[in-house]
Amino acid sequence: MSNIALGRYIPLDSLIHKLDPRMKIIAMFFLLIAVFVPAGYPGYGVLGVFIVSVLLIAKLRLNFIFRAMKPMAFMLVFLLMINVLVLRTGYVLFSFYGFTVYSDAIYQTLYITFRLALMIMITTALTATTKPLDLTLAIEDLLGPLKRFGVPAHEIAMMISIALRFIPTLIEETQRIMKAQASRGVDLKEGKFKEKIMAILSLIVPLFVSSFQRAEDLADAMEARGYVPSATRTRYKQLKRTLKDYIMLFVVLLLLGGLITLAFVV
Amino acid sequence: MPIAFEKVSYTYAPGTPFSYAALKEVDLAIEMGKITAIIGPTGSGKSTLVQHLNALLQPSDGQVLVLDRIITHADKPKQLKSLRKNVGLVFQFPEYQLFEETVLKDVMFGPLNFGVSEEEAKKRAMETLTVVGIDPSIAEKSPLDLSGGQKRRIAIAGILAIDPKVLVLDEPTAGLDPQGSKSMMQLFTQLNRQYEKTVLIVTHDMEHVLNYCDNVVVMQDGKCVTHQTVKEFFNDGKLLHELNIKVPNVLRFKESLAKGGMSLPEGISDLQTLAKAIAGRIKP
Repeated sequence: MSNIALGRYIPLDSLIHKLDPRMKIIAMFFLLIAVFVPAGYPGYGVLGVFIVSVLLIAKLRLNFIFRAMKPMAFMLVFLLMINVLVLRTGYVLFSFYGFTVYSDAIYQTLYITFRLALMIMITTALTATTKPLDLTLAIEDLLGPLKRFGVPAHEIAMMISIALRFIPTLIEETQRIMKAQASRGVDLKEGKFKEKIMAILSLIVPLFVSSFQRAEDLADAMEARGYVPSATRTRYKQLKRTLKDYIMLFVVLLLLGGLITLAFVV
Repeated sequence: MPIAFEKVSYTYAPGTPFSYAALKEVDLAIEMGKITAIIGPTGSGKSTLVQHLNALLQPSDGQVLVLDRIITHADKPKQLKSLRKNVGLVFQFPEYQLFEETVLKDVMFGPLNFGVSEEEAKKRAMETLTVVGIDPSIAEKSPLDLSGGQKRRIAIAGILAIDPKVLVLDEPTAGLDPQGSKSMMQLFTQLNRQYEKTVLIVTHDMEHVLNYCDNVVVMQDGKCVTHQTVKEFFNDGKLLHELNIKVPNVLRFKESLAKGGMSLPEGISDLQTLAKAIAGRIKP
């Protein structure tokens, strides 16, 4: 489980780590918009250089980024195949056995690859440098103004933080039940199809039962301590915006503006 | 000796910052046909040790000998399944592993996995349910509707139905009331005496060690500190003190009596014999 890179927080001490999570989320939002500005390859080049330097400032190692991108490799192969079969524009690159591959198929795939890679790098720059709990605090703050329209900002943030809190617990529980069932002769790797279904069932049912149990216990514990979602409460951890945050946001906006100019004016 | 650890080491998450050596060159031989208690503080490697017995964990270094099979780190998991038929491992809070619709089906699940026929599995399930003290009339109920103690007995029946030669239990009485844990321990004694199972119990309860076990293994900091008979163990006051072990009430009471000048014969370990011995002294 420890080899999952996508969305994982990496505790380091860097300028990016110290930025205000709210500002980071806003910046990520603008950067994601920037990915969709049709500025062509030069635009992606600029954006790419920017993101890579952000990741380097955050002291993240680049092979961590590559690992985060691994899950999309399969999707890209699939995409390439579809594109090669469907796209019949551009000039002929090569043909074999009477089957021709056109240049646009490759270009389109590369285009989407860049886009996806940039998006993953942008989100990784956020999630790898921000503690999950800080993220939820920031989400709560950012959703705050929407409370007026009935958006349960605090409840959403609480749900996210509880979910995050229980991920390691559930992983541990899963491993425990797997071992217990292995002792009863369950074999998750070998066996016929029907046996495998049984094996998965023997894992999922106990996991569900104990999750519901846990949820109920937690709800009781929270109620016993008088938890009221709508109550006004102070926070132990105060988020603070500093000059650095504004500079960061300014740079991001400048980049976005530049890309838009590049796309529509030049 | 059919169960033996030879210089067994086990490291969790090797090669990462979270790397943790849970067992350090453990040498240990378990006597067959006896009840052996495995005790030691939390984090001393007890659970890691017992998970080697049915090859849920394979030693990082050294080898484990279980019933004429040698397990090293090089063994393929596929070859190890047959071992689990001979060594039944009951985890802590085993009631969380129940998942079938009925009690009977759940108990049958283990034997069926090991290739026992449907009929035979059913027969075994009914038998083991009786052995663990579950009324066969609830065999068709959902295991999730039963009480905690009943669930635990059913989970143990689920392992017993596989008919292992060796039964390993990780803190089987945790969370049970005194009456429940007493009858649970009596069940294990019965399994040992009547069905000739070799039983290993991980426990924190010294009263249980004294009253129900033959041998005792003390783990500390990933090492096996001592391994001897329960009788010798509780007579070695210096060692008990060194290991910071809470002496069972009966023995402490006897000790206090001895300090006060009433020395009783050696080998008294249960309350009734002690009471009789004292009564014998008091009466003229």
